[in-house]
Amino acid sequence: MKKTLLFSLLAGTFATASHAQSEFSEFTDNPSAFTISSDKNTLEFGGRASFYYENRFLKSGQTNLKKNGFDVKDLDLDMIGKTANKFTYELHYSLVDMITAAATQNTAAPTSPGFKAAYIQYNGFKVKIKLGYDKVPFSQSSLMHEHETPNWSHSGLTGGDFFSRRDIGLTLNTRLCKNMINLYAGAYSGMGETFFEYGNDASGTFEYMARAEFSYPGKVNYNEIDEENSSVLQFRVAGNIRYKNKTQPGGASTVTTYPDAGSTYGLNFIGGKSTVYGGDAIVKYKGFSATFESDIVNLQPSNAADALFNGTSAALNKGKVKAGGFISDLNYNSEPIHSTLSVGYQNLNANDLVSGTQEWLTFAYAYKISGFNSCAKIEYYLPTKEDAVSNPLKYTGQLRVGYQVVF
Amino acid sequence: MALLPPVTSLPTTSCITPLYIMAKNIATILRVAGMAPVLGLLFAFSHKKEVPHTPFKYDHSKSLNKIPEPSDIVFDKETGHFFIVSDHGMLFECDLQGNVIRKAAEEGLDFEGVEVRDSFVYVSDETPRVIYKYRKSDLSFVKSYRVTWSGAANKAFESITYNQTKKCFVLISEEPATIIEYDDNFRETERYPFRHTRDVSGARWYNGSMYIIGGKDATIFKCDPTAYEIQAYYKINVYNPEGLAFDASGNMTITSDDLQRIYFFKELPTIKPTGK
Repeated sequence: MKKTLLFSLLAGTFATASHAQSEFSEFTDNPSAFTISSDKNTLEFGGRASFYYENRFLKSGQTNLKKNGFDVKDLDLDMIGKTANKFTYELHYSLVDMITAAATQNTAAPTSPGFKAAYIQYNGFKVKIKLGYDKVPFSQSSLMHEHETPNWSHSGLTGGDFFSRRDIGLTLNTRLCKNMINLYAGAYSGMGETFFEYGNDASGTFEYMARAEFSYPGKVNYNEIDEENSSVLQFRVAGNIRYKNKTQPGGASTVTTYPDAGSTYGLNFIGGKSTVYGGDAIVKYKGFSATFESDIVNLQPSNAADALFNGTSAALNKGKVKAGGFISDLNYNSEPIHSTLSVGYQNLNANDLVSGTQEWLTFAYAYKISGFNSCAKIEYYLPTKEDAVSNPLKYTGQLRVGYQVVF
Repeated sequence: MALLPPVTSLPTTSCITPLYIMAKNIATILRVAGMAPVLGLLFAFSHKKEVPHTPFKYDHSKSLNKIPEPSDIVFDKETGHFFIVSDHGMLFECDLQGNVIRKAAEEGLDFEGVEVRDSFVYVSDETPRVIYKYRKSDLSFVKSYRVTWSGAANKAFESITYNQTKKCFVLISEEPATIIEYDDNFRETERYPFRHTRDVSGARWYNGSMYIIGGKDATIFKCDPTAYEIQAYYKINVYNPEGLAFDASGNMTITSDDLQRIYFFKELPTIKPTGK
């Protein structure tokens, strides 16, 4: 089955013309990078450093102020190379994640292993072929870079707690109809960001993904903010789906064997079938931009006693667990005053068999000295509805204020 | 707006409560952390630039079906044709409606600028920092020159034009924008920072002036060709303008790579010099 699908994916690539770009790289639009070139080969060095002060407004009775203080958001280095024979390669790693993983034996943030991209891509065919570790083609919000917004983090839905954002595998991508249609298909390990901790799992199966986008009037990049102050209305709508069956041989527990792979809510990796589907859209016009996204996680754990069922009867849960949510941002960018404002809304349900949902509002502002490459950012997170079981909070609000430099 | 209703619901709080909490928290910030002066300083640094608001509108436009991502265009008086380059590393000769007449066999990686001088066509390949020289008569490859720009791979020379006033080639880096002059063998002779726009996506010497496109700002700057001081500027109603040409009658043509279109304008109106 795996071989058949891989062959089918590859067979479709040997079609027509060529082009070269890495779609998901966080550094393809970085004017401060350095490039060396030799004949037709180039190698670009870049990076990002950002730091903030965080203040959590603790609930009464909470006395631990550990989260109130300075923190490192990014210490990233990136290398993107392009060769004369139409290969692109990238190595993007986070020094702070690597140091944290090493210092804590990978216990502090197991889904942030340090690597953010490590792949090679061939651009010589109409269909680009990428092999390696990178963002997977799922979720507009995940594919967008938060450092190009006033926000300090991705939403709770798309930050890696409901589905993995990165994985190792094969991605095919092509653009059609004057770039208005953009298609992705891929096969991945299914381990997500914990691939470097566990390698492949024992099931021997892949996770498959597909994403289809329609943009008008032309290509719309993965930038949430309308920094170009678009004189014509641009929009993109997209749908995507991912599927994996990670039922383990002999019914072994994934929670025991791969305890970090499930992430915060235990949704990312289960022993059983997992289907995630969603839709998203973005509109940009005259400095305004609005994004919308909804994703649904549909899980079928093979073990009837799986903790995700929350002790409910089979008659009630019918062998399925759902999670998901809706997110939306409204942004305004004004270049004359170097400013970007953003208001975000999130509605999340981490498990439909556990009572409670979460709602969040975020308010963010960026003052840009040199675009988002050198800017001050302030963001306030306001939980308007707390899921006391799945995500109990010790605070009533959170503030982050800091500075970022992209080089 | 619960997307997936829970089995049981927790008691909900009044919608006023979170707003009250937010207001209380902001008050705490302003009082304890002293954020008010910080926010004040941020706005104090803000300043409003003077930009023209009425765009110079194109007359009509046409889709370039056969040219993927057209990134620059130049008009050749001798043949009466356009030469257009593509982000896909291809050079095309086209009629005045943008229909392809022929294509150069020699391809590059990321063609972003094109200029005609005498019997040759010069093309800027942005990523590897190479200038290609083609014979105009048959688009055969003649030779290449290396130029240097140590900035980002995709922010190098999106424009190439020949400055007839100073008798030199001009390449302009996209971001940060720097005008660089070269002799006939592409040896650098002079540099001029150009900080009037966020990026430069095209340039053309025409009729004694240098016209420079600010791509993100959708603005054309008319500059004197000696020190590149701005004499006038025009907002245009084209998204992502990348290439600029003037035909024999002085009508302006703009290409947009993302939209894969060519936009036809009338002559630019005369604007009183701004003195900027």
